Amino acid sequence: MSFLSELHLDALTEVFNIGAGRAALSLSEIVGDEVKLSVPRIQFYQSSEITAEALSLNSPRLGAVNQHFSGPFDADAMLLFTEERALEIVRDMMGSQLSIEELAEFEHEAMCELGNIILNACLSSMADILNITLHSSLPTYAVNSSDIILQQMVAAANQPVMLALHIDLAIVRRHSEGYLVFLLSSSSLEELLTHIDRFISGIGT
Amino acid sequence: MSLQLKPAEGLWDKLWDTINSGLILIDDAGKVVLWNSWVAKHSGIPAGFALGHTLESLFPNGLSASFKTAIANALNYRLPIILSNALHRSPLPLYPVPLTQNSQARIEQSISLTPIVEDATRYCLIQIADTSISIKRERVLHLQSERLSKDASTDGLTGLFNRRFFDERYRAEFARAQRQNLPLSLIMADVDYFKRYNDTYGHTAGDKVLIAVANSLKSQANRATDIVARYGGEEFIIILPGCDASGGEVIAEKFRAAIAGLNIAHEKSDTAGYITISIGVASFQPGATCLPGNFLEKADQALYQAKASGRNCVKLLAI
Repeated sequence: MSFLSELHLDALTEVFNIGAGRAALSLSEIVGDEVKLSVPRIQFYQSSEITAEALSLNSPRLGAVNQHFSGPFDADAMLLFTEERALEIVRDMMGSQLSIEELAEFEHEAMCELGNIILNACLSSMADILNITLHSSLPTYAVNSSDIILQQMVAAANQPVMLALHIDLAIVRRHSEGYLVFLLSSSSLEELLTHIDRFISGIGT
Repeated sequence: MSLQLKPAEGLWDKLWDTINSGLILIDDAGKVVLWNSWVAKHSGIPAGFALGHTLESLFPNGLSASFKTAIANALNYRLPIILSNALHRSPLPLYPVPLTQNSQARIEQSISLTPIVEDATRYCLIQIADTSISIKRERVLHLQSERLSKDASTDGLTGLFNRRFFDERYRAEFARAQRQNLPLSLIMADVDYFKRYNDTYGHTAGDKVLIAVANSLKSQANRATDIVARYGGEEFIIILPGCDASGGEVIAEKFRAAIAGLNIAHEKSDTAGYITISIGVASFQPGATCLPGNFLEKADQALYQAKASGRNCVKLLAI
């Protein structure tokens, strides 16, 4: 997007990288094994462009955890768990006997919690770094075909532009890798940018 | 307006204490400001004692690390947090009847932490739901579903997969082989002169033969992906995924030799003095086009050829 400079992107990447680090720590505590989250890759999309293909989500079905954040700017943050990889890791974490499909369908509460951990970590690091206070609803969880989840998400957000964050999730000992997409649509992206600008100029001084 | 009809102070207290789940409210410093009756009952700590204390001091050894982290995060970042039962089981030392807590397991819990701000003071509401009943129900259902799915797919006499399970898996394996361009072999085996055996030795002996044949076939099919099923009567069927014609023929011959090697006496057999099987093998190579029904027919035809060629032998039809 033209209104976002390299500097903005770098700053946002740093914000979410700290968030990913925090999330990894919390997840490791739960799993009792080292969980790694990669440095997130940030991409902006026009809402109309958002499809499972555009987000490289090669999964027929998705589990989606959603939280509404409010504060200086409002944001709907959503975490998508693809079926084949991320869910396998989740199953590992829970030591569950369920199949991947059953897991996404039946373990709503656990999926909510995992999404909640990662979303909170990313958003709280953002709040810390930008020196703002964010409030949030409790997470909700939905599982459906990828197209329907994304359609609903775009319709509910009703924003022209959305920010996607690609994070790889790995549990070290198991050598398993997962793939998460974090979508954040801001009804006041301008506000977010103002705060990022403030943060960037703060570093300079 | 209903919003203006505020209940009296005392009514609130009764409300908290009537609610049949746990409610704990802590302030910014982590000190308890609300401790409802449910929590008092299951922790063994009365509200009068809990108020003004931190959870850590109330449960000195009982708090899980992840629960402590969650509380700290909720107070620090003021974002709501979920602690699911699936990942945490029982974060708080709460018991069905706390007085005898040594001999009982903790209550299974689902917990949510929600920050609340009132008059510029920050609080964190801890809601605890008892999920023991659903966990128990889940376990019972899980055991039942395991048993049912085993019953539904197993042949009662031989313990092999049944016809129904075979039909399902055959369609799936056939489609997979075509999709992934892999070979596939299908083996159909039939006990020679089995009717005569039953007539001579009786049905109980006949059943024993079927069980012995089934066990032998099962122990010979040593790849985890092989599916050995009882197709009906004295007929058995084996799916060999990824196995080409020559591989299928080798395995079929192994089956035939193993059954002959059981050396079960069968005086009325025209083939040998012992129990033998005839085997038909159908195989298709990657890229071959055929329908699942036709492929099954091929195996049946091969079996017919084996019967016609004197029994106790293997015939192959490749596509």
